[in-house]
Amino acid sequence: MKDHYEKISTVGILLLPLLFVLRGGYLQEVTGYVYLFLIQGYVAWFLFFKSGQPFFGYSVTMAIGAYGTIVLNVMFGWPVLGAMFISAAFAPVVGVILYLATIRAKGFYVSMTSFLLAILFPRLINALQDITGGRSGLYFSGITEFVGYKTLYIIVIVWTVVVAIIFLWLMGTKTGKILTLISENDRLTQAVGINTFRYKLLAYTIAGFISGLGGALYVNYTGFISSIDIEVFTTLYIFFIPLIGGSSLFFGPILGALFVILIPELLVPVERYFRIFFGLIFILVIVLLPEGLAPNVQKLFRRIRKNKE
Amino acid sequence: MGGILSLPVLGVAVIYGITGIPNFAIGVIGVFGGFVTWYFLSYSMGLAIAIGVGVCFIIGWIVQRVLLTPISEMGGDATLFFIITIAVGFVFEGMLRAIFPRPNISLELPRIGTISFAGYSVEGFKIIALLFAIGTLIIIRLMEEHTEVGKSWQATSQNLKLAKLIGIKTTQVFSIASGIGCALACIGAIFWGSLYNLQLSSGWDLGFLGFIVAVVGGIGNIWGGLISALIMGMVMSFSGYLLGGEWQSVILYCIVILVLIIAPKGILGSERSL
Repeated sequence: MKDHYEKISTVGILLLPLLFVLRGGYLQEVTGYVYLFLIQGYVAWFLFFKSGQPFFGYSVTMAIGAYGTIVLNVMFGWPVLGAMFISAAFAPVVGVILYLATIRAKGFYVSMTSFLLAILFPRLINALQDITGGRSGLYFSGITEFVGYKTLYIIVIVWTVVVAIIFLWLMGTKTGKILTLISENDRLTQAVGINTFRYKLLAYTIAGFISGLGGALYVNYTGFISSIDIEVFTTLYIFFIPLIGGSSLFFGPILGALFVILIPELLVPVERYFRIFFGLIFILVIVLLPEGLAPNVQKLFRRIRKNKE
Repeated sequence: MGGILSLPVLGVAVIYGITGIPNFAIGVIGVFGGFVTWYFLSYSMGLAIAIGVGVCFIIGWIVQRVLLTPISEMGGDATLFFIITIAVGFVFEGMLRAIFPRPNISLELPRIGTISFAGYSVEGFKIIALLFAIGTLIIIRLMEEHTEVGKSWQATSQNLKLAKLIGIKTTQVFSIASGIGCALACIGAIFWGSLYNLQLSSGWDLGFLGFIVAVVGGIGNIWGGLISALIMGMVMSFSGYLLGGEWQSVILYCIVILVLIIAPKGILGSERSL
């Protein structure tokens, strides 16, 4: 029951930005941006923290969705929605191939292989600059041309909520429970006769598709993408979202996304010292609050409620 | 290229071989030392290099003592160290941006021309970097065999609990290893900055390259690291020559990913497992 309340409140919090949809302006723009990263954050939450798969190629799956949409729509004349879904369907291929290729390796080696892929991909985009635009990037009007910016903002919010609901629901099903078991003890799960290979493959497929579709939505919302947007630090920022926010609670990634995207925005006045503060805040949070922000925020609220009573 | 790459690779190998911690901030710290060297270069070359390398040793020592060893004692895993050292890298990259006004520097050290061998000509500086790396490696190996300090390094890397039991100050060993690793990365950055140039973000390239080359050689295995640096250096030079600069790193990373898939423990095998 407690779990149920937590899920409902998470969805409720996620829907809040719809209240200021008519206001427009900077706040709305940043909120949309936070949500687009939150989609990727939930993917990392699901794949790394809940399914125990050491994957660091989130910027790659996101980029495949984004670049695929532009290439299919602009260069091959496909309809935008078709281009988005087909590129999203192609995104899991990277994760699945990497998983199959590194099936014999363990833990950190798999992380490293996918992390190297995240370093490689923007360089590949630069090398293929005749098609991809490299560092100069590609402009894309996409869905905005048909539905307008405000509607697209609503689509971003609603899709993020749908993604959260899908993951929250999935973790409550038998599949989700087996994935949790795999993340806690892979060998034991195998020993009790569960085909872990099938479940891991499923986890990579779901995560890759949602990340790819998130990337396709990202390029529609921002109207531009270049190799700089998908640098290796993007994958780190995405991974930081559930890590900083706290992976044990459903609303952890929301706090993480606010932290990772808003802290840089707040540090704009001290731009020269931005990386020092960001790095230090980061180290402090990881060292002092290893469970992440969410469990500590929850404890704080409980204490305040107790004091009132 | 392999000669210059071999120095940060050695740095990674020394730190990982002794502490068991993958330090991704090593390149950024090395480049920080490169900028410090550049700042003092107008006074005296020797003094500037000594200050740069000394600053990096101290930074490496402090980072290990204050942050990484306590986390290691609390049971931190490789992924946590990966994240923490990236954050440490952010701090030092930020310090570079805050302290040094120029985003791009070139270290003007005296040139020694090119050396011709079997029809190929190589920049003399690259040969010096390689000889320096080989010399450092031999000194490390000799120290391990013949000195008390070296033996305590070996004991700590092979069995931490036992090393503690026989009275070795492992915390100090870790801090010195980290200092030496960062100092080696700094020397690599000085060579790099003299042949090409150093940018504020060069540290990440140097660090990531150093780390992946070390992984290909067998992380923690310093001979493997050196051989891997030479092979990877040649791969980078040839691919850059044949396909152009943009494809240079693409080819390198593709090869590294393939090596990791085929032989996850590197070409000479790792002395520790990640």
